Amino acid sequence: MKKHVLVVMLVAVLFTGLIATITAPTVASSNGMVAAVNNYAAEAGAKILEMGGNAIDAAIAVSLALGVVEPYASGFGGEGYAVITMADGSKYAIDFRSAAPMMATYEAIAEKGLKLSSINYTPMGTCVPGVLAGIKEAWLLGATLPLSVLAAPAIELARNGFIVDETFSQTTSDTYERLLGSAFDFLNEGFVWETGSVFKNPELADTIERVVEEGIDTFYTGSLADEIDAFMVENGGFLRKSDLESYRAIVREPLHGTYRGYDLYVPHPPVSGPQFLMVLNVLENYNLSAMSWDDPLAIHLIQQALVLGDVDRKAYISDPEFHDLPYEAFMSKEYAKTRLMLINPGKVFDQPYASYLGDASPFADGSTYEEVLLEELAPVMSSARAVEESPSTTHFSIVDKEGNAVSWTQTISSFFGTGTYFKGFFFNNEMANFASSYREGDVINLTGGMRPRTTICPTVVMKDGEVRWILGTPGAGRIVSMMVNLVVNLVDFNMPIDQAIRSPKFVGYSSYTDLRMEEGFPQSTLDFLEKILGHKLNIYAYPDLFFGGPNIIAVEENGMMIGAGSLRRGGSASAPEF
Amino acid sequence: MKKLLLTFFVVLCFAFVSFAAEILLEEPVIVTSAGQSPGALQFTVVAKMVSLDYKFDKLYKAEDVDMSQFKTFVIVVGASGKGLGAAGIDIEVEINRVLALAREAKDNGLKIVICNLEGASRRGESSDKIVTTLAPLASVYFVKSDANEDGFFTNLSEEAGVPMATFEMTVGLKDVLAQYFGK
Repeated sequence: MKKHVLVVMLVAVLFTGLIATITAPTVASSNGMVAAVNNYAAEAGAKILEMGGNAIDAAIAVSLALGVVEPYASGFGGEGYAVITMADGSKYAIDFRSAAPMMATYEAIAEKGLKLSSINYTPMGTCVPGVLAGIKEAWLLGATLPLSVLAAPAIELARNGFIVDETFSQTTSDTYERLLGSAFDFLNEGFVWETGSVFKNPELADTIERVVEEGIDTFYTGSLADEIDAFMVENGGFLRKSDLESYRAIVREPLHGTYRGYDLYVPHPPVSGPQFLMVLNVLENYNLSAMSWDDPLAIHLIQQALVLGDVDRKAYISDPEFHDLPYEAFMSKEYAKTRLMLINPGKVFDQPYASYLGDASPFADGSTYEEVLLEELAPVMSSARAVEESPSTTHFSIVDKEGNAVSWTQTISSFFGTGTYFKGFFFNNEMANFASSYREGDVINLTGGMRPRTTICPTVVMKDGEVRWILGTPGAGRIVSMMVNLVVNLVDFNMPIDQAIRSPKFVGYSSYTDLRMEEGFPQSTLDFLEKILGHKLNIYAYPDLFFGGPNIIAVEENGMMIGAGSLRRGGSASAPEF
Repeated sequence: MKKLLLTFFVVLCFAFVSFAAEILLEEPVIVTSAGQSPGALQFTVVAKMVSLDYKFDKLYKAEDVDMSQFKTFVIVVGASGKGLGAAGIDIEVEINRVLALAREAKDNGLKIVICNLEGASRRGESSDKIVTTLAPLASVYFVKSDANEDGFFTNLSEEAGVPMATFEMTVGLKDVLAQYFGK
C-alpha cells in the first residue's frame, strides 16, 4: 500500500508542474543531464532526475518517451544497445539487439517466391524486438523508481499529444507511400503529419499502460506476446510467441579501449564497438593535434582509417553467440599498426576497398606487429556487402549528479521499420541486416536466434576513472565515421561538444567509392583532397542528417555537465533545476 | 468598424464563389506528380473523399497516356530529392516528362490544374521551376495557403488571369475539389 501511495505521489508531482527542468540545444548544469534527439524525450529524462531518479531511471523514461515522440526511429518493436558506467565503478553493456525468428530461413523466404531483400517492408522483415527486455535488464541493474513512474512521461505524451517537429513531418512525408498502404491509422486522417500539428497516440498510451500493469513479461511470455503471435500469423510474419519467450537481453561488461590516455567503454559485437576502437587505434599513431579539423591530410588519414575499419567489420563483427571471431585481436593496438602501414598519406586507396581486408587472427595471442609481419600475414577472405543506408535509429546520453552514466542507442532499423503498425508502434526491419542470400562462410548468414550485425556504437569515455564524455549517434553506415569525427574533434582538436557536433562531417565507408562530406570545409581543403590525394568528392548540403544525429554530454573537471543535442535532427539537452 | 469588416468578408466570400464559378472542372481526371514528393499520393486520398473519378500514376509518360479519355489533368507539384532519386530521374527529366503530358492534355482540350498540396515545404528552387514552367498551360491553381505567403501563386494567377483557390489544411482541398467539380 505504501508503495502505491508513493507511486501516485511521484506521478502526481510529475504532472503538477512542481518539477522544473531546463531544455535547450545546449545546456550546462551540475545536477545531471540528458541529451537526446527530441526535446520532449530529453525533458522526460530530466524530470526523472529532478525527482531523484538516477541515470538508469532517466534512461528508461527517455527510451519509452522516444518510442512515442519518434515512433519512426524506435519503440516497442525495436531494439538496441546500452553502455552504462556506474559511479561505484561497475560497468555494463546491455545487448538488446533483435534476433532472427526461428522460422526465418532463406528456404522459407524462397518458398514464398521472395528474397530477403524483398521482405524488408513486410511483417516478414521483423526480428524479435528487444527494447523492453533491455529496459527490464537496465531496471534490474540499478533503477530506483518503479516502472509506472518511469513510463508516466511517455504515457502522458502519447495520451495528450505533442507538437510535431520538422524531423517527424519530414520522415512521415518521405515514407508516406509505404505508410498509406500499411499504417493508415498512424497518418493524420490519411495525410502526412505537418510540422506544428499535434500528434496523439492513445493506442500506444494504452499499450504502455498495459506493459506497466501486467509487467514487461507480457510482451515476451504473456497476453501481449499471444497477440503479437496472432498478428504475425495473420499477416505472414515469421515472429512467433516461442521466439519472444526464448529472447533475452544479454548483460556483459563493455569492451574497453584507450585513445590518447582516455578510456573508452563500447559495445561488443554484433555492433561496432571493436571497429570504432580499431580506427582510433590506427589514428593514435598520427599526431592529429598538429593539424586542424579542416586540414586535408588529417581528413585523408581519418577517412582512410575508417575505410579499413569498415572493410574489417565485415569479417570480424557478428553475433558472438554464433561466430567465434577474433574481434579482440581486431581491436588490438598491434593489429592497428599493420593497418596503419597500408595508408598512403599522399594517395587514396585503390578500388575495390574489399581487397584491403586484414588478418587480425595472429594477434589473438598478444603477438607484436613485428613478430606477426615477419612471419607473413595470410589474408582472410570475406564477402563485402552494404548495410542499410537509412539515417534512422536514435541515441541518447545521460549522466546523473552522482556520476552514473548511460549511453543508449535504439532503433527499428529503417525509418518506420517494416511499416507494420501494431498497437501504436512499428515493428523493426532488422532482417535486412543479414546477408541477402546464403554465402558459404559469411558471418551474417540468416540464422534463427542470431542477432544481425549493425554499426551502432553507444560509448562512455572516461579519464582517470571519471566520466568525461557520453556519446553516440544514429546514421547507419556513417555511425562509426561520426563517432571517430567526434572523438578526434574532442580529443585532438580540443573542441567543446557543441562545436564538435556542429563542425562539418565526412565519411569513410567501404561501400562508398567517393568521399562524402558536408559543406563547410574550405575550398582549398576540397581541392587538395581531390587534386592531390585523388579523392572523388561528394558534397552534401549542411547540415544533413545523413551524417548522423549525435547527442553528447561532457562532464568537466569541476563537475559541470554540458549537454548538446544534435543540430542535424533538432536534438535537445535537458537538465533538472533542483 | 465591425460592420465594415463583416461587409468586407461577405464581399470576399462572394468574390471567391464567383471566381470559382469562372471555371468548372469535369471528370474523369488524370493525376500525376511533378517532382515526386508524396503530395500527389495525398491528392488521391482527398480525391477518394469526394468520390472523384480519377486515375493516378506518379510517373505517367505522354506516350503511354490517351488524354482523350480525360477531361481534367491535375499536376501535383512538389520537388523531392528523395522521391526523384527513388524514381531514378533528375529534375530536368521530370520537368520534361510533365511538360509533355501537359501539352498533350492541352491539345486534347483538358483543363489543367496545378496543385501545391504540401504548402511551404514544397516551395524552393526546383518546385518553383516546375510551377513557372507549367504556368502558361495552367487553367487553375489549387494552393495550400502557406505556400503563397510571398504571393508567388497570386502573381502567377493574376498575370495569366487564371483562377486560384487556396486552403489552409491539406484536408481543406476536399472543399475546393467539391466546389470546382460540382460535387
